[in-house]
Amino acid sequence: MKLCKLIPVIAAAATLCGCGGQHMEQYQMFAMDTYVTLSGYCDRKTLEDAGEEVRRLEGLWSVNIESSDIARLNRDGSAELSAETAGLMSFTLSMSERTGGALDPTIYPVLREWGFTTDEHHVPDDDTIAELLENVGWEKVTLDGRSASLPVGTAVDAGAVAKGYAADIIAERLKSGGVTAGIVDLGGNVLTFGQKPDGSDWKVSVRDPFGDGAAGTLSVGECSVVTSGSYERYFEQDGVRYHHIIDPATGRPADTGLESVTVIAGESKLCDALSTALFVMGEDRAFDLWRESDDFEMIMITSDKRLLISEGIADRFEPDSKKKDYSAEVIRR
Amino acid sequence: MTRKKAVVTALCTALLLTAVCFVMLHRPHGDTVVIKQDGKVLYTLDLSKEKDREIVVEYEGRRNVIAIEDGDIYMKQADCPDHVCIHTGKLSGGAPIICLPNRLVIEYADGRNDAAG
Repeated sequence: MKLCKLIPVIAAAATLCGCGGQHMEQYQMFAMDTYVTLSGYCDRKTLEDAGEEVRRLEGLWSVNIESSDIARLNRDGSAELSAETAGLMSFTLSMSERTGGALDPTIYPVLREWGFTTDEHHVPDDDTIAELLENVGWEKVTLDGRSASLPVGTAVDAGAVAKGYAADIIAERLKSGGVTAGIVDLGGNVLTFGQKPDGSDWKVSVRDPFGDGAAGTLSVGECSVVTSGSYERYFEQDGVRYHHIIDPATGRPADTGLESVTVIAGESKLCDALSTALFVMGEDRAFDLWRESDDFEMIMITSDKRLLISEGIADRFEPDSKKKDYSAEVIRR
Repeated sequence: MTRKKAVVTALCTALLLTAVCFVMLHRPHGDTVVIKQDGKVLYTLDLSKEKDREIVVEYEGRRNVIAIEDGDIYMKQADCPDHVCIHTGKLSGGAPIICLPNRLVIEYADGRNDAAG
């Protein structure tokens, strides 16, 4: 037997045990106030270029970068926005309307007063909050094409939607660049696209807000998964815990008996916007909105350890069998 | 080379390759953890073999204390204002432990899931 006859045997052996599979490349960076991981079946350069795009979007949207569109708008009261920023603002305002103001980009001055954007945390007094709330309200934002303006005292932050909006742009860019499959993960704002070479589902864990590890795992195709939770960004003062998801109606951390809301949908911007808004709305209002919609599914974890799973995603979510203190409930339409 | 020898060689090669691939695919993953700062790997640790200890990492004059205890790894102390890294708790199948201000990441070298949303 000649060597060439051996090759098919070796190749078959290698393929049989999976060594012939493609390698998923990864690129990680700090941007948009989070840890970004871009993964794809492509070369590293492609991912690095996509990382540059994340950096560029951060430069347009960050309230902390003086030259950004958002910072200019807040400083000058009016600004000509880039196409991306105008798109982001327009989408954010449409979500404000859809969620009855539970998502509101003009909450920014209140969030800043609490110190969540500067890491100088403190509890503002009632008068300060009341005063700041007078300038809060998404209807105060005027957006005409790419021209935006704000009344005096009002300021915006796209932080609750920017990562999702960016993830959609990055995934689109990777796909049009010929990347067949991958994951855009902007600090837990996850978007999967394409299919793994072995045909299996993407596995995305849902954090356990009460402890280590995951409350469960989602097995999904091409989609986005975004969680808003009160369990990470918070501070304690006089024994009380204050988290970073501020209810625009009260100017205080949303107190709705929820620990986290995970939204699953086709678009990451929708997931990002809704996860924050649904957290603020609370269980009943959130499921009301879900019932009248057909573009998202969700998983809620309540403070009394109930796992509420909307029926459209129930068969793709497997609660962690080791976490026995949760009671899982599928919510029907 | 006789025909018999060639066949034996072929079979051995195939067997060896299969074995190597099998070991690579089925090794108990998830125990190897990397600690990275600003993209650079500082430590690669096999938690199943590590003794209890603390690792101090500094960044621009600020300190993080990482603890390894009974095969678990977590952020014990951090000179950062938000303490998100401490709130994350022990590293497990979910998200990595991240201290943004100090550019520090603790994550599995080979994650159990594709991502944590």
